[in-house]
Amino acid sequence: MQIGDLNSAGAMPALEMTMRYAAQRQRLLAHNIANVNTPNFIARDVDPKKFQSVLSDAIDSRRAKTGGGYGDLNWKETSQIGRASGDGSLRLKATSPHGGVLGHDRNAVDLERLMQDMVENATVFRAASDLMRRQKSTLLAAITQRV
Amino acid sequence: MYGSLDISTSGMVAQRTRMTVIASNLANVNSLANDKGEYDPYLRKAAMFFPGDPTSGSDSGRAMGVHVATIEVGEEPLRRAYRPGSPFADKEGYVMVPNINPTTEWVNAMEASRAYEANVAAAETTKSMVSQALRLLA
Repeated sequence: MQIGDLNSAGAMPALEMTMRYAAQRQRLLAHNIANVNTPNFIARDVDPKKFQSVLSDAIDSRRAKTGGGYGDLNWKETSQIGRASGDGSLRLKATSPHGGVLGHDRNAVDLERLMQDMVENATVFRAASDLMRRQKSTLLAAITQRV
Repeated sequence: MYGSLDISTSGMVAQRTRMTVIASNLANVNSLANDKGEYDPYLRKAAMFFPGDPTSGSDSGRAMGVHVATIEVGEEPLRRAYRPGSPFADKEGYVMVPNINPTTEWVNAMEASRAYEANVAAAETTKSMVSQALRLLA
């Protein structure tokens, strides 16, 4: 491990990817909530389980390559999780229908489920950002040789 | 992440516009004449929602959110009411009056208000996520 690997040390890349995912998913959930009264609107979302399997595959291949202590995550694109053309960051394509009862205006947004998903998503984001902050402060303590 | 805030704001703008239309319907429940004083009973209006936000600056932003595409004029027939004292009454004393059901408008207003709150809640969540991310700098 070299000094340049500090930013990809430990769990940092996985946490970064989780935060990017949660930030993108928040967009999709906000879109579904904004259209709660739009006629003919079918809410679409991404499946967190698919993200988890992409992430765990990427973590496994990183561990096989560098032992897991450092190195970037090389995640594979799926039908729902792609790379942006510009900076190669995560872009989500909402394809899973967000289940709900079709109303008389042909709108199938289930507001309570959406709110639940949003709270869960925000909690994931919070957990990842707290862990990342903790790891950064650990690194700082090591660099400055504080005990 | 600011994109999420744009989306929630578009939802709030759309619901507020809808609330304005509902308020106009309720305020004009007895309006029989137009601004020139001619007989022209008020027709019920309704805001039509469409996905997407045309005011957004980016392509990805225009695909997300919601906007009021048109404000449709209702096609329900006017109601016939007996008002012999009205200057617009016909020979038998009847006037065609706006066909607005205050109960329907109230229910719609309640729905718009709740949907507005849902968008505010989404915006609050986005805000807390942004501040979480900013705390990484400290």
